[in-house]
Amino acid sequence: MSETVTAPPAAAGEAAPRIGSVLRIVRGTGWTLIWLGALTLGFVVHQLWITTWLAQLNQADLDAEREAYFAGAVITEVEYEPPLDPTAPPSSVPPGTTVVPPTNGDGTPVRVAGAPLVLKVEAPPEEHTTFALIRIPALERLRDGWNIVEGVTRADLKNGAGHMPWTPLPGQPGNAVISGHRTTYGAPFHELDELTPGDRIEVETALGTHVYEVRESIIVKPTELWVTEPRQGAWLTLTTCNPKFSARERLVVFAELVAGPNAGVMRRAS
Amino acid sequence: MIRRAYRALPGPTPIRVATSVLIVAAALVALHFFYDWVGNTFLDTGGTVG
Repeated sequence: MSETVTAPPAAAGEAAPRIGSVLRIVRGTGWTLIWLGALTLGFVVHQLWITTWLAQLNQADLDAEREAYFAGAVITEVEYEPPLDPTAPPSSVPPGTTVVPPTNGDGTPVRVAGAPLVLKVEAPPEEHTTFALIRIPALERLRDGWNIVEGVTRADLKNGAGHMPWTPLPGQPGNAVISGHRTTYGAPFHELDELTPGDRIEVETALGTHVYEVRESIIVKPTELWVTEPRQGAWLTLTTCNPKFSARERLVVFAELVAGPNAGVMRRAS
Repeated sequence: MIRRAYRALPGPTPIRVATSVLIVAAALVALHFFYDWVGNTFLDTGGTVG
């Protein structure tokens, strides 16, 4: 004797909606993943190509703006008084002795020998306008030059490399600081890590071409503001994000002025 | 999903097409600003310090 057990018709009816809801969940998850993938792909395309395309579109306008600035720039000559370095007394002075530099009757320091040091100076450019061109022959991306804009706001850096307005202009005594994108908006400083001591950096301003020589590259935290502080002599400091595709650190390159309109004066002053 | 959203738009076909073009354009602009913000914040700030 055999018994045949058949499932009640109601059970089959319950299974169908359950399978339907599982399918809906799978389909929903699939579509969500497809959309997330598309958004991520869009982000990569936007960052690598669209921002670069936008930056390159601006370069032609900036070239014209820079040429107009060069043509209309007011250049003056001023006497340069190199700052006295209180940390470096002459070696013949015994330790602990206070060194008082010789002064004229009115208190100005006496220049012992040689003609006065005359520095060529240009009027500070307006913020958010381009006023110079940076060229680094050792780096493919900067071989033909990239415009430098006065200012380091997000909008400034989308157009070109940005000069920090509170630091001296390139070619002047002190520490001229220029920042630039590493991976987006044309990525002018993409290959900055490839610079080695001795490599040349040229900055063309209304005064002429200032040539700097790389002295050192370091990696610091983004908050380390000391890298922008004034330095003895004429220096150029380039900063960019590090590592590539991350804003976690900053790659900083220090370079010293070796040739150009004010290089002779700086050499004599040192 | 996209087809369903398109069909849900009001009006005759030309109005639907114009509306969907406007919506896509607005979404692309919003996406551009969103991508720009994310990129500038996490990927490449422009290299400034301080």
